[in-house]
Amino acid sequence: MKNLKILLVDDDLFLLAITEKSLEKAGYEIETSKTGEEAVCLISKYPFDVIITDLMLPGDMDGIDILEAAKAADSQTEVILITSYASVDTAVTAMKKGAADYLQKPVNFDELNLRLEKIRCMKSLVKDASDLREAMDITEDKASETIRNLEMMVFDLQNKLSEMEKKLRM
Amino acid sequence: MIKIEPDEFNIIAKYIRSISGISLDQKKAYLIESRLKNLIKEFGCSSYWELYRKAKSDTGKSLETRIIDAITTNETLFFRDRWPFELLQHKILPDLIEMRAAKSSGAFPIRIWCAACSTGQEVYSIAMLLKESLPDLQKYDITLMGTDISATAIVQANSGIYNQFEIERGLTRDRVKRYFSPLGNNWKIRDDIRAMATFRTHNLMLPLYSSGMFDIVFCRNVSIYFNPENQKKLFYKIADVMGRDAYLIIGSTESVVGVCPRFEPGRYLRSFFYQLKN
Repeated sequence: MKNLKILLVDDDLFLLAITEKSLEKAGYEIETSKTGEEAVCLISKYPFDVIITDLMLPGDMDGIDILEAAKAADSQTEVILITSYASVDTAVTAMKKGAADYLQKPVNFDELNLRLEKIRCMKSLVKDASDLREAMDITEDKASETIRNLEMMVFDLQNKLSEMEKKLRM
Repeated sequence: MIKIEPDEFNIIAKYIRSISGISLDQKKAYLIESRLKNLIKEFGCSSYWELYRKAKSDTGKSLETRIIDAITTNETLFFRDRWPFELLQHKILPDLIEMRAAKSSGAFPIRIWCAACSTGQEVYSIAMLLKESLPDLQKYDITLMGTDISATAIVQANSGIYNQFEIERGLTRDRVKRYFSPLGNNWKIRDDIRAMATFRTHNLMLPLYSSGMFDIVFCRNVSIYFNPENQKKLFYKIADVMGRDAYLIIGSTESVVGVCPRFEPGRYLRSFFYQLKN
């Protein structure tokens, strides 16, 4: 399975850069954005597996707006929020809105990697399940065609047989 | 996880077949292990034999109910396979209505039974379809009944509440918006659709006590769990509650012709149905 495609959103350029570097080293495909508006624009254009965003952002769009936009575009996108201690309450609200996780600043990269690995595992399981289902559908489709034809054939033969039996008795 | 011994397997399989009709062969030993392991733990049993003994001696049958819930496969989704619903919309409903309208004026009944409805998706799908294809719904006296052997499944069907994953299976966004309202992280069927259906538990191996005959019976992907003897029992029982012009719809890989001679097959485009022979 391909590696996760991740969007990082933070107005702290330094943090953005070091997080990008750390995650790229771990093998993930990274896109970055400094503002909420830019992020929402990217979300509408490309599919992301994960979005890691600061809760507080300058401008009209904050982390919650990004969460909502991401889920509207693709409910399978997982959103991780980065929050400072003062906004833990908002983070909990965000979890209720569908965020996958929240991490407190300063971000511990080991922890972030663990969370991402968990997301990657789950997505892989979901894909396996969906592949299995697809295979099953195809098998069922083919089997059902065969069985339908056999049903009709058996019915016809039963009718012919009873007709012959009737004739023989006469 | 405690492993099941071959002789334990035979006893349990026989027991399960007697209480539900479901047949499990030796290859399905893993299924019994994985499905019953939680009950083993919960009831403090040291073996499957002990679980069996506890279930048999329980006069309240609560452990038996739990075992049935654990063993039954509740795989279902909205508008499963699509073709039965197209059949219903484009052939069965128009035919029934045409036939009935010719015979009587005023409201006439349409009685539909979903046998083994599991958590209710099939029933609600039919309700949604009825709402969409019959603009003058109040003209018809519609009975839409769903039954299943699993009490837990019926509880969920009754509640009409589905989680995000279940909602996404088989429903267009449009239908979700139209027929469901959000309830926390879940979705609940709207009252007008909910009111169209009734649910109750029922074991298909036992007689169905219902007043009157059904016009349409859905019995999909149930007979696959039964051995030939119980399949025969099942379809004969269904034939007994079907009206003269009634329709039976089964799963795409199931067979009736070689099992119950009371039915004859019919075809409509890619769909299959059965009716009682004259």
